Amino acid sequence: MVDAEEGRHAVELCWSGGQSETIRVDRDETIVDAAEAAAVAIPYGCLYGACGTCTAELLAGEITHLKPPRALKDQSLEAGYILPCIATPETDCRLRLGHDIQAEVVGTPWK
Amino acid sequence: MSTDEPSPHAEQSGHEHHEVEGPGYPTPGAMRTESEREKTAYVMAPRVGMANDGPDFVGVIDLDPESDTYSELIDTIEMPNKGDELHHFGWNACSSSCHAEGLSRQYLVVPGQRSSRIHIIDAEDPRNPEMVNVIEPEEVFEYDLSAPHTVHCVPGGKIVISMLGDAEGELPGGFLQLDQEDFSIDGHWEADRGEMEMNYDYWYQPRHDVLISSEWAAPNTYYPGFDLDDVEADKYGDSIHVWSWDDREHIQSLEFGERGQIPLEVRMSHNPEETQGYVGAALSSNIIRFYEEDDGTWDWDVVIDEEPREHEDWDMPVPPLITDILLSLDDQYLFFSNWLHGDVRMYDVSDAASPRLVDQVWAGGLFGDRQEIQDTEIRGAPQMLQLSRDGRRLYWTTSLFSSWDNQFFPDIAEDGSLMLKADVYPDEGRMELDEEFLVDFGDAPGGPARAHEIRWPGGDCTSDVWQ
Repeated sequence: MVDAEEGRHAVELCWSGGQSETIRVDRDETIVDAAEAAAVAIPYGCLYGACGTCTAELLAGEITHLKPPRALKDQSLEAGYILPCIATPETDCRLRLGHDIQAEVVGTPWK
Repeated sequence: MSTDEPSPHAEQSGHEHHEVEGPGYPTPGAMRTESEREKTAYVMAPRVGMANDGPDFVGVIDLDPESDTYSELIDTIEMPNKGDELHHFGWNACSSSCHAEGLSRQYLVVPGQRSSRIHIIDAEDPRNPEMVNVIEPEEVFEYDLSAPHTVHCVPGGKIVISMLGDAEGELPGGFLQLDQEDFSIDGHWEADRGEMEMNYDYWYQPRHDVLISSEWAAPNTYYPGFDLDDVEADKYGDSIHVWSWDDREHIQSLEFGERGQIPLEVRMSHNPEETQGYVGAALSSNIIRFYEEDDGTWDWDVVIDEEPREHEDWDMPVPPLITDILLSLDDQYLFFSNWLHGDVRMYDVSDAASPRLVDQVWAGGLFGDRQEIQDTEIRGAPQMLQLSRDGRRLYWTTSLFSSWDNQFFPDIAEDGSLMLKADVYPDEGRMELDEEFLVDFGDAPGGPARAHEIRWPGGDCTSDVWQ
């Protein structure tokens, strides 16, 4: 018998304003899909890891990207940034979310 | 005949010499002189990457100065999904189909730059547009294309959309062709893309068997934001491409190198006899004129070259960043926007190879003397331009692209962007900011939005091509 709870993890979404929300994400489900299903608004764009609109910082736990995270350079991945539109949790996780994290990762040229 | 009239009839447009009626106008001059003042604008209004995000929408703006709601956002057509990033859009039919009986300029083709979803909006009633069809991203990815950008209707009952990436958001891009009647996907427009890898904007001129396309970068390069490391790594474009319109084949690349980094908007002369045009190179901030030589090959010259400028709060001199250019319907004036510096410029191009600066308006940006209008902070700077058909009113919006906005003008993400207007005096070669006109997309129903490309229901300076 398949246990519906098996492989499901709690993901705590923390916004820079201080509010947070915890959602449950199924095995192989993306964090964006689970947030949409739970009616929790989080940023996203392309939904296939190319655009970086959803970029978040992984504060605790482990995730797997289900597709190549093309929107993030190696140093951003190493610094702990992830793409929730193609990421599924491997453990319970805590993420920092916000519309402005994408710009924080890339910085501002000439400035 | 109202300006909003989507499909003027033959007898109204002085079009008797044609045997059949079709959408648009027989010549650019007819469009300039025989249409009345624009009364409505459609504006792309993305909410991608906003602090308070939600679906993007097409905004309907009242431009009728006699109306009580002049200069207001009077309607919004919300997209069914989040995350599209509405950017550029076009019509199912324009003056290029002027001889095509039974066609009318009725449907807006509205792509999502990030989602690759393509929306079809019926604008038969200009003030009450309705969503009638959606092409889902998966249908587009089947053709190994993504990131739809420029939409032109083309002769032969087709719509051609420049596509910037493959199904993974990598290179190469290409062109997607839709059927004008049922909006089904035909497949790729191009038969042979040759050495072309990057794509962005395009213009075409069937009379001279030519299409000219420009280059941004791979979607997975420009989508996440502007990174100078990617410029160093040659991941941004520096060329335009010449195609045979009839054979749908790439025939020549014009490589600008450092003299034309990130060539974006392509504008050929409206006069279909002409074989020349301009492209604005955003990063190197210059205007390049391209033209056909006697032997049928194409050549180019830099005809306007702007300098970066020191700013006390920035470490390096900042380039103007030419993000949009536009030619008046009589091909007399070239306008372009310097999105980082904060000005819009007007050049006399009656001597096409020697543009002459005649005026500029500063509003917002890093250097604009004017940072407020009607007590509202100007968030962003002049960006997408649209000129009235008679050449007397220039409108612009202030957002470029969600991720790039968030790097350079982050206030837009909190409070939305603006639509502004200048009155243009073509006979005097000058223009003046209209301080009475302001559309604040920060006040949009459902929350603040960005504002991007602008179009009029009856066609405009960047929609129509003459055969």
